[in-house]
Amino acid sequence: MVTEEAANRESAAGLWCKSPLKLLFSERETFRLARFFCAALVAVSCLVVGCGSDREFPSRPLTLICPWSAGGGTDRIARQVAVQLEEELGVPVNVVNATGGGGVTGHSRGALASPDGYTLTLATVELNMLHHRGLSAIGPDDYQPLGLLNRDPAALFVHKRSDWHSLADVEAALAERAEPMNASGTAAGGIWHAALIGWVAQCGLPSESVNWISINGAAPSLQELMAGGIDLVCCSIPEARAMLDAGEIRCLGLMADERSPAAPDVPTFREQGDDWSLSSWRGLLCPHGVPPERVAVLEAAVDRLSRSPKFAEFMDSGGFQTSIADASEFTEFLSRSDRQFAETLGSPAFVQSQTAVVRPYFFPICLGILGLIFVVPACRSQAAVATEPSVAEESDDSSPSRWIRPVVVILAVIAFVATCETIGYVLATAVLMWLLAIVFGATRRQTVAVTLLAAPLLYQLFARTLGVPLPWGWLGW
Amino acid sequence: MVDIGAFTEAAAQVFARGDVWLIVIAAALYGVFVGAIPGLTATMAVALFVPMAYWLDPIAAIAAIITMAACAIFAGDLPTVLLRIPGTPASAAYVDDAYAFTRRGEAQRVLRLGLVCSVIGGIFGAIAMMMLGGWLAQAAGWFSVTEYFWLFLIGLTCAVIVAEGPRSKAVLSLLLGLFFSTIGLSAAHQEPRFTLGIASLYSGISFIPAMIGLFGMSEVLLNLVDGAAPAKPRPPVESALQRSTHSLALTLQEIGDRLRRRKMSTLRSGGIGVLIGMLPGAGCDIASWVAFAASRRMQQKAPTVTGDEGEVESQRRSLDSIGDATTANNASLAGSWIPALVFGIPGDSITAIVIGVLMMKNLTPGPQIFDEQLPLVYSIYLLFILANLVLLPVGLLAIRVSGTIVQIPKAVLFPLIVAFCVTGSYALNGSLFDVLTMLAMGILGFVLVRLQMPTAPVVLGIILGGPLEERLVQSLTAANGNIAGLVQRPLSIALATLFVVLVGSMLVESFRRRDRQAT
Repeated sequence: MVTEEAANRESAAGLWCKSPLKLLFSERETFRLARFFCAALVAVSCLVVGCGSDREFPSRPLTLICPWSAGGGTDRIARQVAVQLEEELGVPVNVVNATGGGGVTGHSRGALASPDGYTLTLATVELNMLHHRGLSAIGPDDYQPLGLLNRDPAALFVHKRSDWHSLADVEAALAERAEPMNASGTAAGGIWHAALIGWVAQCGLPSESVNWISINGAAPSLQELMAGGIDLVCCSIPEARAMLDAGEIRCLGLMADERSPAAPDVPTFREQGDDWSLSSWRGLLCPHGVPPERVAVLEAAVDRLSRSPKFAEFMDSGGFQTSIADASEFTEFLSRSDRQFAETLGSPAFVQSQTAVVRPYFFPICLGILGLIFVVPACRSQAAVATEPSVAEESDDSSPSRWIRPVVVILAVIAFVATCETIGYVLATAVLMWLLAIVFGATRRQTVAVTLLAAPLLYQLFARTLGVPLPWGWLGW
Repeated sequence: MVDIGAFTEAAAQVFARGDVWLIVIAAALYGVFVGAIPGLTATMAVALFVPMAYWLDPIAAIAAIITMAACAIFAGDLPTVLLRIPGTPASAAYVDDAYAFTRRGEAQRVLRLGLVCSVIGGIFGAIAMMMLGGWLAQAAGWFSVTEYFWLFLIGLTCAVIVAEGPRSKAVLSLLLGLFFSTIGLSAAHQEPRFTLGIASLYSGISFIPAMIGLFGMSEVLLNLVDGAAPAKPRPPVESALQRSTHSLALTLQEIGDRLRRRKMSTLRSGGIGVLIGMLPGAGCDIASWVAFAASRRMQQKAPTVTGDEGEVESQRRSLDSIGDATTANNASLAGSWIPALVFGIPGDSITAIVIGVLMMKNLTPGPQIFDEQLPLVYSIYLLFILANLVLLPVGLLAIRVSGTIVQIPKAVLFPLIVAFCVTGSYALNGSLFDVLTMLAMGILGFVLVRLQMPTAPVVLGIILGGPLEERLVQSLTAANGNIAGLVQRPLSIALATLFVVLVGSMLVESFRRRDRQAT
């Protein structure tokens, strides 16, 4: 209350400067404003926060990073896990889709998150692959495993009208055909690509007999199979389930040791005489360096979650193959799987199969050439237009000072980005708003209103109502 | 063709249940709310809802998702029109045209028209889906990557056609956008390009922050430099209110007029929307660009009027185009359900989530759903109609409330816009790097506007660049590097011809214009 009185005194005593430029340069005014602002902020923060002391872990919302986009299989599992973890831990768990870079973005962000136990990652098999391909410095060693949830073996699909009915048919076709066979299922270098090339190499066939077309995702690959653009699709059963059930495509085999309960009539590769298996996996991990007592809390929660009937039911209905392992088994599994991928991805067959017909810089170079063609006419039309008086030139204020305010706005946003992870979203936004209000020449009352109301309201809107995890700082928000 | 028994069962399930109505209304409010916030998309609104879908029965869950998507796509128009920040990518096509009305104080007029056209588009889409669902799904199945390549090229040509000013500048803007799309780990090659060793650039330039920056942030910066003069008097509150009530009658008249006068173009835009919606990966944003361009193209054939009447005429025309674009983007929402239901292939990211939800309920999308679950399929169609009917009152309410935004003094509004730009671009991926992307694009947008280059093609370039390059590389790989592979199938030849005709007519036209200027 005392601080509020101080704030009122300030507002009564201070004179408000109308011109923002003058205000920016007047030291006395800026000082007064800063003092006033601090007083008001302290008052409000005392009223709103209470005391955000660090109680038992977890005491605030958790973030679950999903390296793939909303709607996919990994995202569906992530959202289910989030709902159940929320029940286990008693705090909200927000799913963040950190997509892009073929999994690099999500996996790096999960590993580099602050090791306080508040950021978990639903990692996928790419954690075992990306570092072998030199795309990411992050590998399984950067993580602390919490529990394995699922393993989906690769499977081979053909169109219902195709002549091939077994693996032997495909092998024979691969060996006989002069032209390579077009296949897809994911982007080049992805898990299903590795699975198919690994099998082809094991059969003793040349890797050139398969022409892998880089299509992002199983669903568009299946669409391409339907449209007749490719001959083979390699992906997991749940990804192809709808079309498999509809009889539009045929599954020739499962790259696993045992048949899948989701498709019991599909034979394994081993049953057909090819000893080859490869699966993708999904598991929960946290960054290295989380305090052991927090890891224990998380491990226990993940263990209960993964063994619950509710989780099993969800996985069944989605067609995912459940494969539960606790932290120590998962750690062992990760290193074993890492060695297998090092071998497969480093093999000459795989490296050779990745040489692209179209070079990576082909498209950008085309753009550059087109750009050069169009620059000349664009400049000419620029000259034609410039003869007419433009709005900008009509402006009478041509002093260099009019550029100062946009620069202040830009610097303010950069400062926000630099500081908000440390001091927290609400404080950083309040400072940003206060600065901007001055730049835009708001009256004193408007400045106070914008500064004190906008930041907490935006926080409420995004973080509370919509569940977006905003940066967390000194005051707990 | 329509099974009456199943249809009545579906109607009973949809319209006779109180809880479905409640859920639809709640979802409509939520959808409008999320869609109106820049940075939050219709997809995100639906994704955030998935945990709740677990507790609902299939009809209620689908009702909620359909309503959310329809309302969020409409609500994307609110910040587009009022603040020049597209709320969802679907609104980016007409951002400049719509904002011009706001500058004249006629924001409500555009919004109401957009709302009515959205509702019409949505209902048209639902009816088209009901009539042609099975057949259209088969047609979508004919499209291989090569056809997509041509389709995306046509989409990009549309961005050049609709852009204001010299074509060469629009092409340059487009190329700039396409270049931005190549930054990051190339999906086709899995090789990092133009990343300068920055890890955050591996995932490329995310287009939602880019869009917020190009339109929203740049507007703030432009205002600081050019429109800063505080001497510019704002219209007094009283007259602004008068104008808004006056224009309510006007809009009603305009909407009635539109319904009579533009039956064919509504049909055309709805058709474009449904057709594009059902192609996987080509969602409502492309539908809205193509419909907008088609609408512009048709208008160019009409005689031009000069003088004061000419201005009224050009306003009317830009209203017509905006209406056509909003019709198409809502119609495409229904279209995207067709491949999802028939093949289990998602038409866009929303239907991808829907497939997940359906499977969670033990309902597997696929051709057999039309045999075994026909009432469910009909309920989905009917839910589309219901959702769009609910959108009308909810949307009017939202327009009414958002109308107050224009009354807020600039000194308060602009800091708020910046805060929204910053928070909105952070919200999508929770990444501070996206905030910097937004800022950089804001500065770029500022520079482009000062160079009198259009900003909208940059956005479309960023959105379509990745898929375009991927499809090109895929087509060429499938043909073993032979460029003739791009025109081997009848459908791809047809699309390629359409593309050549579009570009050719554009070139001829600009030569003619130059000749006319020279004489």
